[in-house]
Amino acid sequence: MDLDPGTHVDRVELCRVLRAASIAGRHVRIAGGGSGGHRGRRSHGHADIVSTLGLDRTISHEPADLVATVEAGVPVARLQDELAAHGQTWIHAPSIPGSTVGGLLSRAASGHRRLRYGALRDSVLQIVVVTGDGRLVSAGGKTVKGVAGYDIPRLVVGSNGALGVIVEVTLKLWPMPRTSAWFTARGGTAELADLGEAVRRSIHQPASILLGPDRLDVELIGPDADLLAPAGMTPDQAPPVFGAAGLLEIGVPAAALPDLAVRLARREYAFQAQLGVGTCLAAIDDRSQRDEIRAMAITAGGHAVVVDGPDDLRDDPWGPPPAGMEIMCRLKAAFDPAGILNRGQFIGDPVGTR
Amino acid sequence: MRTVITPSTIDRFRTIVGSERVLAETLERLVYAKDASMNQGECGVAVLCETTAEVAACMRVAADLGLPVVPRGSGTSLAGSAIPLDGSVVISVARMGRVLSVDADTPCAWVEPGVLNLDLTAAVDHLGLHYAPDPSSQAACSIGGNVGTNAGGPHCLASGVTSQHILGMEVVLPDGQVLTIGGPAPDPPGLDLRGFLVGAEGTLGIVTKVCVRLTRNPPVVRTLLVDFTSLTAAGAAVRDIIAKGVIPAAMEMMDRTMTRAVEAFVHAGLPLDAAAVLLVEVDGTAAQVASDADVVEAICRESGASNIRVAVDEAERALFWKARKNAFGACARIAPNYYLHDCVVPRTRLVEVLAAIEEIASRNELVIMNVFHAGDGNLHPLISFDRRDDAQVTRVLRAGHEIIEVCMRVGGTLSGEHGIGMEKRDFMPMQFGVADLDAQARSREAFDPEGRMNPRKVLPSGSKCGDLIFSPDDLPEGTWI
Ligand SMILES: Cc1cc2nc3c(=O)[nH]c(=O)nc-3n(C[C@H](O)[C@H](O)[C@H](O)COP(=O)(O)OP(=O)(O)OC[C@H]3O[C@@H](n4cnc5c(N)ncnc54)[C@H](O)[C@@H]3O)c2cc1C
Ligand SMILES: Cc1cc2nc3c(=O)[nH]c(=O)nc-3n(C[C@H](O)[C@H](O)[C@H](O)COP(=O)(O)OP(=O)(O)OC[C@H]3O[C@@H](n4cnc5c(N)ncnc54)[C@H](O)[C@@H]3O)c2cc1C
Repeated sequence: MDLDPGTHVDRVELCRVLRAASIAGRHVRIAGGGSGGHRGRRSHGHADIVSTLGLDRTISHEPADLVATVEAGVPVARLQDELAAHGQTWIHAPSIPGSTVGGLLSRAASGHRRLRYGALRDSVLQIVVVTGDGRLVSAGGKTVKGVAGYDIPRLVVGSNGALGVIVEVTLKLWPMPRTSAWFTARGGTAELADLGEAVRRSIHQPASILLGPDRLDVELIGPDADLLAPAGMTPDQAPPVFGAAGLLEIGVPAAALPDLAVRLARREYAFQAQLGVGTCLAAIDDRSQRDEIRAMAITAGGHAVVVDGPDDLRDDPWGPPPAGMEIMCRLKAAFDPAGILNRGQFIGDPVGTR
Repeated sequence: MRTVITPSTIDRFRTIVGSERVLAETLERLVYAKDASMNQGECGVAVLCETTAEVAACMRVAADLGLPVVPRGSGTSLAGSAIPLDGSVVISVARMGRVLSVDADTPCAWVEPGVLNLDLTAAVDHLGLHYAPDPSSQAACSIGGNVGTNAGGPHCLASGVTSQHILGMEVVLPDGQVLTIGGPAPDPPGLDLRGFLVGAEGTLGIVTKVCVRLTRNPPVVRTLLVDFTSLTAAGAAVRDIIAKGVIPAAMEMMDRTMTRAVEAFVHAGLPLDAAAVLLVEVDGTAAQVASDADVVEAICRESGASNIRVAVDEAERALFWKARKNAFGACARIAPNYYLHDCVVPRTRLVEVLAAIEEIASRNELVIMNVFHAGDGNLHPLISFDRRDDAQVTRVLRAGHEIIEVCMRVGGTLSGEHGIGMEKRDFMPMQFGVADLDAQARSREAFDPEGRMNPRKVLPSGSKCGDLIFSPDDLPEGTWI
């Protein structure tokens, strides 16, 4: 049953494979492009691998309607190229080589332009998944707006493959911004945080305000007249993509983020904060750092999730359980009754069966 | 099955909220048996709660006695979602009307569910902020109701519908448990229950606090009123504006019948001879507005616009919007009743769908008026009629069905913003298959295992199948489950 990556699994076959795995109680791991790093709890034991790379068709792209329907294994980079040919884009970020649409959605990675364009999950109009027990379920609709039925797409996006294999999605697209520009400033974290907040208050809809320990980077989008350097900043290239072996993603109310950034800097952590959004990536080496930052995030009214890292960091990826765990577990059971999918990736997976 | 509310049940509610807030008299119950749709239900008793603790206590009583419960805000639902059936208990949160806290920096606010949509915007206006989703009913509908239906509005074209503006909520579950889901911190760990609760039409629990995202007011706004000599030309302009890469803040259309009805009501100086009127608003920086407005004007002229009027000041802009937002009210002047649909179609198919609706109207000898969110393809064909005329009612229902069929055929969606409720419930199989409805039913059960929340709404009966996987027979070759 082990399907090599690259094997063309069509959705009917996928239903059959998962149904059989559910009946037999065999664990299954969903693989997209393999670029997503290590997330969730470390999982022990054997799991069959189901690759989505065979699901690689662009089913439709209606440029005049700013909507595209694609299979989940489509590489993000290819989709972006196809869309760019029509002056359109899906997410507002450079794609990581190898990443697939399904992989990105299962991680709900929103990219650096979230401040202006919103969260990734807001762009998913319809989703088709194969559940853990092999049911083909479609939810949402192909139009840019729709409230028919329950919002299963929002449950699936960001669920790390815990509810089913995404096989197809319909995405809301955006016109590709014609002109954009990056600006930077260097200095101490506290002044830069103030500068970043000033940009947020004074400039209408900046695309991105990224704060690190010693740099602030701002991206603006719009007609040339709107691309003037904010006070105290100079034109520059886009900052490097932030990465580290151990990566913590923090979420706090946007108003609390500047202060948190200053405290992270004081403790000499490397980080990149998205001002205005409230998210922040921080580099960590060990559990004590994870726990220290998590405590800061919780005090600030938020949370901190390990989004990549070696096994030891991932013994407690999520921190204190959120409200509604019981409901989440019932939802998991509704989609994956035998609990075979992506063990360790669901927040409610009990310790001991990882 | 009919629910029987006994005097002792009423007493238990009275113990919680006091006797004047338990409405059990026939006339009182009648008020709560309706919403703004054309349906009628039966309310067993209505309880007006003022605090979360009261809601939770009432829910525990209902759980204890196995009573069905319907949450209610302002009762402006157009889909029958707020209507109690067969004697259900109505729990109204309309009196929970306080703005609890405003965080001008994030910016967001915690509010009680009974706060009216427009009052929320008014409450934060002095901070240069507003609450973006603006249903036409915004002076009357509540934030809790907006969460219930995932309400949209003209300005949701660029800024997104309610679900994009709800950061968190406090919800009382059917068993009386109180949970706080999400909040101002983005992406809390676990499944996105917040997103799933929005638009659930009161079938998962009662929302008792809402954390809303607030939006900064745009520095510059320009509003254009454009007349067209044909619906086709107006539809083409909408399509081409989007295709050109301009997403206006709002783009609304009215056909001639609707324009005349509205003008007689609002006196906004609307063109009475135009076949269609397009209301387009662009906002942003001065440069952005100038560039977007240029594109909009150029495309409208190319598509054959006969006149373009730009609102000269805020007063004129307000008048244009008053005309748009009073459209349904104006219809009451045409005929006593209306039946409203809310399908969404791909923007590229607008023109042909509008033509098909015209044909359906004339074949069924009905007046169908259109006022709708053209920018996102969200139609609101409104069939006016007189419910005392049985033959006409039959034609109205047939025409409604035909409109939905046309919309589905071009890849449309049943509802763009009004919800499914009871009115569109039995059309659900036109959009969803057996396994799709089953998955929705199971997800709903995760919140409400006993099926007591707003029963018989949203999903047609029999939506839940058996446990498919453990059925012995294998699938025939090539079929999709
Ligand atoms: C904060 C942050 C921001 C990021 N921003 C971006 C960005 O803007 N652009 C970008 O390209 N990348 C971004 N990434 C990286 C991105 O998350 C990964 O590259 C991408 O999710 C992995 O895609 P993949 O196909 O390689 O998935 P894999 O690495 O193969 O899998 C990732 C996870 O998704 C599951 N999965 C994969 N496919 C499916 C499917 N079809 N159905 C269900 N589950 C599935 C897997 O089981 C696994 O749990 C970001 C990452 C982080 C942490
Ligand atoms: C003239 C007119 C114009 C309209 N224009 C628009 C429009 O432009 N866009 C649009 O989207 N809608 C529109 N509507 C429909 C309606 O106003 C919306 O659906 C609105 O969101 C309903 O809010 P409400 O407070 O009246 O809720 P209600 O009608 O009381 O309830 C609606 C649903 O939400 C549930 N609910 C209510 N409160 C809660 C709560 N606290 N917790 C959980 N569930 C709850 C109810 O059970 C019900 O299922 C219009 C209606 C009218 C009459």
